[in-house]
Amino acid sequence: MKDYKLEVRVTLICFIIVAVIGGFFSSFIVILNERFFDKVPTPEALIQYYGESMFVAKEHLAVLGFPLHYFLLIMFSWIGVTIIGAIWCLVMDRLEERQRA
Amino acid sequence: MEPRGELFVLGLVLSIIVLVISVLISVWARRFTRNLGDYYVAGRSIGAVNNGLAMVSLALSLTTFIGLTALIIKGVYIAISLYAAFTASFIGLMILAAPYLRRHKSFTTMAFIAERFGSKTLRYISVVVMMIVSVLYLAGNLKGIGIVFYFLLGVPEIVGIVVGGLVVTLYVTLGGMYGVTYNQTFQTIVLLFCLMFPVAVVLRALGAAGWFFPPLGYGDLVPLINQAVPHYFWPMLVHPVVYISVFLGTFFGIIGLPHFVMRYFTVRDAKEARWSTVLCVFLVGLVNTTVYATGFAAVYYMRTQGVQIPEAAYDYMVFILVDALAGQGWLALAVAGSVAAGLSTVAGLLMIMGAGLIHDLYGQIKPDVDDEKKLKLSYAAMFIIGILVIFFSLNPPEFILIAIMWAFGIAAAGLGVPIVLGIWWKRTNKYGVGAGMVVGTLIGLFGWFTIDFLGMNPVDIPLPFFAKYLYGPLGFIKITGLAVPISFILTIVVSWLTPPPGEELQRQVDEMHGWNDVDPRRYNGKGLPITIIVLSVFVMWFMTTLYDTFPK
Repeated sequence: MKDYKLEVRVTLICFIIVAVIGGFFSSFIVILNERFFDKVPTPEALIQYYGESMFVAKEHLAVLGFPLHYFLLIMFSWIGVTIIGAIWCLVMDRLEERQRA
Repeated sequence: MEPRGELFVLGLVLSIIVLVISVLISVWARRFTRNLGDYYVAGRSIGAVNNGLAMVSLALSLTTFIGLTALIIKGVYIAISLYAAFTASFIGLMILAAPYLRRHKSFTTMAFIAERFGSKTLRYISVVVMMIVSVLYLAGNLKGIGIVFYFLLGVPEIVGIVVGGLVVTLYVTLGGMYGVTYNQTFQTIVLLFCLMFPVAVVLRALGAAGWFFPPLGYGDLVPLINQAVPHYFWPMLVHPVVYISVFLGTFFGIIGLPHFVMRYFTVRDAKEARWSTVLCVFLVGLVNTTVYATGFAAVYYMRTQGVQIPEAAYDYMVFILVDALAGQGWLALAVAGSVAAGLSTVAGLLMIMGAGLIHDLYGQIKPDVDDEKKLKLSYAAMFIIGILVIFFSLNPPEFILIAIMWAFGIAAAGLGVPIVLGIWWKRTNKYGVGAGMVVGTLIGLFGWFTIDFLGMNPVDIPLPFFAKYLYGPLGFIKITGLAVPISFILTIVVSWLTPPPGEELQRQVDEMHGWNDVDPRRYNGKGLPITIIVLSVFVMWFMTTLYDTFPK
């Protein structure tokens, strides 16, 4: 059962990380940024200032010129998941060797 | 939108070279095909590098090459996040399904579902679902080939659909899975060169400092695009449940799309299946991030240089950009890359449709037919399917990526859910899978029929209670946020309310995970099904909240 628990736990953790950084991470960054560092845009503000107040590309939050959340989205959904996938593969390779033994 | 207006000889020559090499590879690969196993799963002899490269071209269809650029122009950030989720979903496919399916030793997704749950009826239902999602996927891709030919020669898109369809039918029929695999590997290499270089030249022409590495090379143009399109990088233009729906559609859709899964049945063992995915996701990410740059360049070009391009021509945008900013040599490369991208995906789809009909349908109705006769029938069936698909594709969707998105949603609810639960929860039985599969597929199909086929506004479709929440940009995607959770809930609840599957069926789960012994405690807890039900209910509830917060 020890190896079984290892397989399930590693798989669960890797899947959650991949799901978050591949799917939701970018929105989290923006929501949290707006929630804690700026005013949360109300529906009225969104409509009233649509096109002007919706800048999220603030200079201090830019990497290589990209808005931070966008940069993280494209890097995590590419390099990030590749690394997570490789780590999962290494763990499963070891587990497979133990199963064979 | 008018074509270029003159015969584009260089592009035509390069495209013909790609087509001829594809057919020659199949003729060469034919020598390896001696039995049905060789024809459908390449004798389970493909290595990790070869399979990883083949998966890249399968994933990067024409919908990526030209459809995503069009979608970025229309949907901007949500389109990019959709493809980011698609890239990551390959790791989801690997973690949740790939090595386990390989150990199961099935030929196809449909065979896996039938054998894992011990039901012939489920085999027939899954063949029907497979045909639906494959035709939707094919229609988008064949239209893409039509677009390339239209732009190239000025001939109607239908000619491109027929010519491209015939070539791919020919080489799939000739070479079987060996031919398809080696062709897809060749086409990946062509695709990488033919996309990266023209896009780099386009970025250079627009003045991007990092043009030599397109995925991250356009950062210095961001301030200008922010002035021209203030919401370009703004993700909260849509209800957050759209992102959840995108996650469900891509992560479970890719598991449910049989032509992706079939690649894993061709590799030597589970380890090769795993590492081929890591290689695949790295290259898919490289190409996808390059296409984001193309979408950015397209919006930038239109907004900052005042170029007016009608919405109906957004699917041509890659060629328009390369033609205007890079020149004919680069355009020829882009055209050849597009042809390669289209052929590889169509080939994979034809392969799974042929396998589904002959191996899973005919082989079950007439189990006494020997493999030699099945092989001969497979050649004939593949050819006939190719011709039928060309016929069905003559009325293609308006935007090619839309059909693919529906295919992902339906595949997620109809096939992805039973595969995942079949691997990770022993208690899943045929009754639960039948209920979840049928209802999930019907919800997705209903959405496609009313919104895409009949052209209804998503908020006006006759879907009780939920229809009004399908508002906003790409709001129809939220249908997946209904279909997948309902499929999960039905599969789990009905499985619980009906007798558990037999020991022999439960034993398969241990074997798929590589255990030599059987332990009834493994993959049999209540934590997983209860968590899935809670999350599924949450997604459906969340869809109905924050109604007044986002633009309608």
